[in-house]
Amino acid sequence: MLFDDTSTSAMSAQGSYYTPGYNVAGPPTDARGGVNNLFSDPMANAAVMYGSSLANQGKDMVNKEISRFMSVNKLKYFFAVDTRYVLKKLMILMFPYTHQDWEVRYHRDTPLTPRQDVNAPDLYIPTMAFITYILLAGTALGIQKRFSPEVLGLCASTALAWVLIEVLVMLLTLYLLTVHSDLSAFDLVAYSGYKYVGMIFSVLCGLLFGSDGYFAALAWSSCALMFFIVRSLKMKILTSLASDSISTGSGARPQVRMYITVAAAIFQPLIIYWLTSHLVR
Amino acid sequence: MSGFDNFNTEFYQSSYSVDDQNQAGYGYSNENQYNNQYGQYDYSQQMGYPSPGMMPHQQPYTGQIFQPTQTYTPSSSQSMYGSSFDDEPPLLEELGINFDHIWQKTLTVLHPLKVADGSIMNETDLAGPMVFCLAFGATLLLAGKIQFGYVYGISAIGCLGMYCLLNLMSMTGVSFGCVASVLGYCLLPMIVLSSFGVLFSLQGLMGIILTAAIIGWCSLSASKIFISALAMDGQQLLVAYPCALLYGVFALISVF
Repeated sequence: MLFDDTSTSAMSAQGSYYTPGYNVAGPPTDARGGVNNLFSDPMANAAVMYGSSLANQGKDMVNKEISRFMSVNKLKYFFAVDTRYVLKKLMILMFPYTHQDWEVRYHRDTPLTPRQDVNAPDLYIPTMAFITYILLAGTALGIQKRFSPEVLGLCASTALAWVLIEVLVMLLTLYLLTVHSDLSAFDLVAYSGYKYVGMIFSVLCGLLFGSDGYFAALAWSSCALMFFIVRSLKMKILTSLASDSISTGSGARPQVRMYITVAAAIFQPLIIYWLTSHLVR
Repeated sequence: MSGFDNFNTEFYQSSYSVDDQNQAGYGYSNENQYNNQYGQYDYSQQMGYPSPGMMPHQQPYTGQIFQPTQTYTPSSSQSMYGSSFDDEPPLLEELGINFDHIWQKTLTVLHPLKVADGSIMNETDLAGPMVFCLAFGATLLLAGKIQFGYVYGISAIGCLGMYCLLNLMSMTGVSFGCVASVLGYCLLPMIVLSSFGVLFSLQGLMGIILTAAIIGWCSLSASKIFISALAMDGQQLLVAYPCALLYGVFALISVF
């Protein structure tokens, strides 16, 4: 009977010794345990468990390495967004002139999440804008018949490199000039990533309306972005004024802080033009 | 490996009964006893074949095991086959493929405006997504585009990106299998698009409108399932946007 089974599937008898045992050896021994009964053959069972333990080891190692560089919880703060916040923030980025209150609200020393405070920086918009920018660059190059995966990769890595350079320069400047602010690296990445929204707007207008549309959109989004950066960073960099005056005044003078803020703002349109002009010829 | 231990104890228990009994008579009178020994033989046969070194006790039994082929009697074989057939669990249940759930998930995808049930995503089912990916590649093949590699590459990168994003955005985390399963199921409307692309060219105005509608359909379904499975509120459009980007890339492959 055992051999009856194998002979009925005689074609596979050589290869699959598992089929008869698979059908019969299961029930008498243990209850239907679901996936655990999938392989009644302990060899396959051992292989599955070894494989899954290997995968778990890999995952644990990746998690450990990542948590050495950044804490995932802090990163989660920047992604706690909802649709209302994103829409309002995009409105502010494109038209910041009517927004009144730029203060980031706190709740017992911890900043409020972006869901509750529209002035809080977030990382969802910069990330999505970056990916949209890469795809849009690919489409623009495809329309002009200049597309190839290498050019796309070049575009993506150039943009990423410029973001990193800007963040590092800002961090270095704030550190060297002893400006005490609570701007963390992620905050700077967020503020630096907001320019991608302006870039996407400019490229879209350039594709739809030609060169004139591109320059008009570039001018508009540059002004809006400069205003936005100045107002937001002013709150964060210049409000540590009070604590510094209490100390020996070794902190940077307010003019230096203003210079930093304005320099960061001037940098934005330059980099927008640099990264998008070759897409709209 | 509790199953292993079970087999181990059974093995040691019934080894003596095998020795005692005649080859022809396996004690079929008692079905339970038959099952034990039957299972025993199966186990030892399987274990003996792949790794003889693992169970050194196998060696004396293999000779006994292979002997009964000569004493095989057709009459009893039928009764044996009959009882074993009744005892086996359904094959699909053992394989973990639940057709009812697959059908439910497909219906959820096909009705993007109907509210989804969050519990259907509890088991990770990659059989359906695999079928849909292959069907997508097949319809592309019909249109003359041999791009299986691109489909797999983009789906892998897209799944990884969605996995990171959803883990950061939701309170509870997700597993990679769940993300891959949902994104694979929601690829179904894209198959409709690429089969249209076989018959008509998609590069006119009608094609663009159809493409936009299908991308919207796919991303709405995917975001609806994610929202209900992960209990995220007020974030459906935020989840739909990266899904739309991913399916937009698939649509680019179908159209161009």
